[in-house]
Amino acid sequence: MTTQVKSRFLDLRALAALAHMRFTTRHRVEGAYSGRHQSRQQGGAGEFVDFREYSGSEDLRRLDWKVFARLGKAFVRLHQEETNLLCTLALDVSGSMQFGDDDRTDRPGSKLAYTQHLATALSHIIAGGQDQVGLAVLGRELMEYFPPGSTATHVARLQVVVEQLATEPTTQMAPGLRRLFERSRRRGVLLLMSDFLMEDLDDTFGALRLFRHRGFEVILLHMVHPEEETLPQGAAFRFEGMENDGALSCTPAEIRAAYQQRFAAHMRIVRQLALAGGCDYRRVSTAIPYFQTLGGFLVERVG
Amino acid sequence: MVIGMAAAAAPVVVHWLTRPRPMRAPLSTIRFVREAVRQRRARHRLRDFLILAARTLAILLLAAAFAGPRWNRPPLVSDDQTGSTVRVVVLDVSQSMAAVDRGMQALDRARPVTAGYLKYRRDLKANLILAAARPEAVFDTASSNLESLREELARCRVLPERLDVNRALTAAAEMLTPTDEDDRRRRELVVISDFQRENWGGARFDPLPADTQIQLESTAAMPPPANLAITRAVCRPLGLQQDRVQLEIDVGNYSTSARKATLEVALGESVFRLDTTCSPGQKTSLTEEVPVRTTGWLWGEVRLVGVDDALTVDNVRPLVVELREKPVFALVTRQPATLRPSASHLLECALVPDKGTNDESSARLVRIDPDTMDQQSLAPADLILLSHCGKLSDESVQLLTALLRRGRPMVYVAAETIDATNLQRIAKAAGSGLQMPVQFLPLGRGQYRKDQFLANVDRDHPPFRVFGDTLPAVIGRLRFSGGLSSQRIQAEQTFAEDAVLATYGDGTVCLVLSESDAGSLAVLNADLLASNLWQTSAFVPLMDELVQTMLSHGHGRDTFLCGEPLLARLPIDAGVAAELNVVSADSSDTSATPGELADDAAGTIWNWLAPDRPGVYRIQRDDDTVFAATVVVPSAESDLSSLDADVVQNRLAAGREVYFRSAGDQSEGRQDAWKWFAVACVLCFVAEIGFLLAFRT
Repeated sequence: MTTQVKSRFLDLRALAALAHMRFTTRHRVEGAYSGRHQSRQQGGAGEFVDFREYSGSEDLRRLDWKVFARLGKAFVRLHQEETNLLCTLALDVSGSMQFGDDDRTDRPGSKLAYTQHLATALSHIIAGGQDQVGLAVLGRELMEYFPPGSTATHVARLQVVVEQLATEPTTQMAPGLRRLFERSRRRGVLLLMSDFLMEDLDDTFGALRLFRHRGFEVILLHMVHPEEETLPQGAAFRFEGMENDGALSCTPAEIRAAYQQRFAAHMRIVRQLALAGGCDYRRVSTAIPYFQTLGGFLVERVG
Repeated sequence: MVIGMAAAAAPVVVHWLTRPRPMRAPLSTIRFVREAVRQRRARHRLRDFLILAARTLAILLLAAAFAGPRWNRPPLVSDDQTGSTVRVVVLDVSQSMAAVDRGMQALDRARPVTAGYLKYRRDLKANLILAAARPEAVFDTASSNLESLREELARCRVLPERLDVNRALTAAAEMLTPTDEDDRRRRELVVISDFQRENWGGARFDPLPADTQIQLESTAAMPPPANLAITRAVCRPLGLQQDRVQLEIDVGNYSTSARKATLEVALGESVFRLDTTCSPGQKTSLTEEVPVRTTGWLWGEVRLVGVDDALTVDNVRPLVVELREKPVFALVTRQPATLRPSASHLLECALVPDKGTNDESSARLVRIDPDTMDQQSLAPADLILLSHCGKLSDESVQLLTALLRRGRPMVYVAAETIDATNLQRIAKAAGSGLQMPVQFLPLGRGQYRKDQFLANVDRDHPPFRVFGDTLPAVIGRLRFSGGLSSQRIQAEQTFAEDAVLATYGDGTVCLVLSESDAGSLAVLNADLLASNLWQTSAFVPLMDELVQTMLSHGHGRDTFLCGEPLLARLPIDAGVAAELNVVSADSSDTSATPGELADDAAGTIWNWLAPDRPGVYRIQRDDDTVFAATVVVPSAESDLSSLDADVVQNRLAAGREVYFRSAGDQSEGRQDAWKWFAVACVLCFVAEIGFLLAFRT
């Protein structure tokens, strides 16, 4: 009997509060199995496949009353026609995602750590909802790819990979996304977690539009560290780029206003590109506990 | 200054030391930081530079305000130098050094400056030259007895003289000249003066040894104080009647604004008042004709009334004039008195129109035959005329020449051929004292001059000046005949007193006036009877003016300058030296006898080496005044403007290294400089605040 090593980013106690939450999608999805997500395929009830615990937002006609009477818990019957969600978690591991890596407990951690927390939790929730979750690690290219799956082993493996993520100095994501597009056979949800501090922003969103054209639902989580918004406080700094982009000495107080203008403009551009590409966009501040962000995200998805 | 520079570097050093050391930190959004820095860089660099510059400049100005830096190069002569030194100090004691500015004379300002150069120092030998018209050195050579020099310095006073700069520099050069080849002493010349433009304009440092360190200390007041001065005062008798005099007075206004001046003229027992307005920086001439009722020598003074300026000694100027009795003429001629018309008769009528009406007028013109002419017969004559006198004997020539040289004016009317010979003999007998610009020559056999008109006339001088604007009309009608040919002796040379007053159309001379020692000789080249001059209204005034000019010839040469040698030849009727004595018109003047009187072959001479006091001086025989003269302060001393330092150091120095310092500029400049430095320092701090406000974000 093998004992699966639990990822340090998997906080089951915290996730227990979100046990009733399911990751939903607003769009018709194509899934391998019957799930709560409305299938693209038309037709009546298919062959019975399995029971699934009632999430509270589903049609009551699907409720298996006999199981309810017997067990006192609500379950729905899954048939062939109801498909499940194929969600691919795409994680940006560019060097800039390491920003915020601070040992101080009173400071938010790095964006990468936050992403790791969030991705691990999402994988748990998605898998818990009988949906399939995959993983794509995007660096200079597609570093890792795990097609969506739902088995416990699959999810555990994903979580281990997420736990072992390391950044690499790159400022491009478009090549990785295109590679991911080529390898993604079935439509689903692409959930991209990135800080979008890349040079090829236009190419990146061009690659994301490929996903949209194929019918993917693309969800963008824009990771922002609070100190990226305001610059650190201090008299003088020698800032060193995290993606081999040099170093620079300056006094933050002198340039804060101009910097904030530029950063805010960047944020607007990313949002506009996202919305223009038909993507769902959400700005995530690493100052907010990931758990809180996740809860709000899931509630929002329910609509 | 070094400390100041170090202090000025303090803000820069502080800026570098207190610059915050940057903390190294990774940043994912360095791209945006770089863009922001690029945007702010130029503006902040400019701000930082301006602030740093303002602070540095403020420190520099503060240091300068305290340090009082000397921007000029160090003086050539100072107490810092050591070694064997010979130093000559020339102190200007001319009249302009008495100018008062802010209650202090220029000489009083100069005394402590001079004393500074006469302080005891081992290996220093010095001498003091008091410079005016003649340099007076305290010692014959440089001495280590500096205390005596300082005593003389304390006693010295301003002299009413001009400054002869080059004589003083030559005297200094003699003292500074090396005594032998082994004389390696440092040579120093210090001149303390007001560097008056009139005196110093022609200064030359050439006589000084080449290695002489020249230091010039100016004690002139800046700006030059205003001064109003009487620069000239002359009194001329007018007319043969001599019943009036013409006052000619020049007033110099050495200031920047016009000034009204009231002059009080005291002449004899009469007092006159004149008013004028003097333009700034100019001399204003006044001419006034005043009546006189007495004869003989009159003296007095011209005084500026109610003027209190920098130099008061030039507000008054002495005045003398001699008013003769009606002149007595001696007419030397062979023509008998009864021959009429004749040239001699025409002259007689022109000069003494009322001859024969009474005894007095009859005695005013005496006809003398050349053969009977002697000293006694000519003695009473104030003027000698010669007309148709034939050939003069040698004795006559000698007598006439002697009288001419001793001051007796003479008019020779040259009509006959023999007159050319007579004139040549007179010129030869007079020697170098008579330098006529022309030589009269007899006409050739058969030649005769007829109907000559006047081509060139000197209308600016007597006698033709009397006609004024009517001169062209007057001389246009004149026609002359007879006379001699003439030839210019030295065409290029002009004599101030010897003047060709008129020439004929053929280029020969009509009228010429020449000096001969104390006298003057006029030659009228024409046969009066053959000419129409006597038939016109011009004859009498022309002769009257000519005679009057000759009788007053020498007037104005009775004015002498203080400090300059006085040499005056007394009139021939003054008497011998033993009978005469010199008195000053100023009764309070108890100084020694001014000058000395001596006899020579030509008469009596009054000689005074260096008159030391202005005023009227009279030569008396018994109680009668036989001669009078004025001694005046040189008018050049009234202009108190000084040479610019640039002119002294560059043009006058002529390549030599000269240090020029003006005491007034130095002290005032330094007093004001620190204030301006302090103000500028404060402005720099204000500017820094302004920059910070302007560049704030």
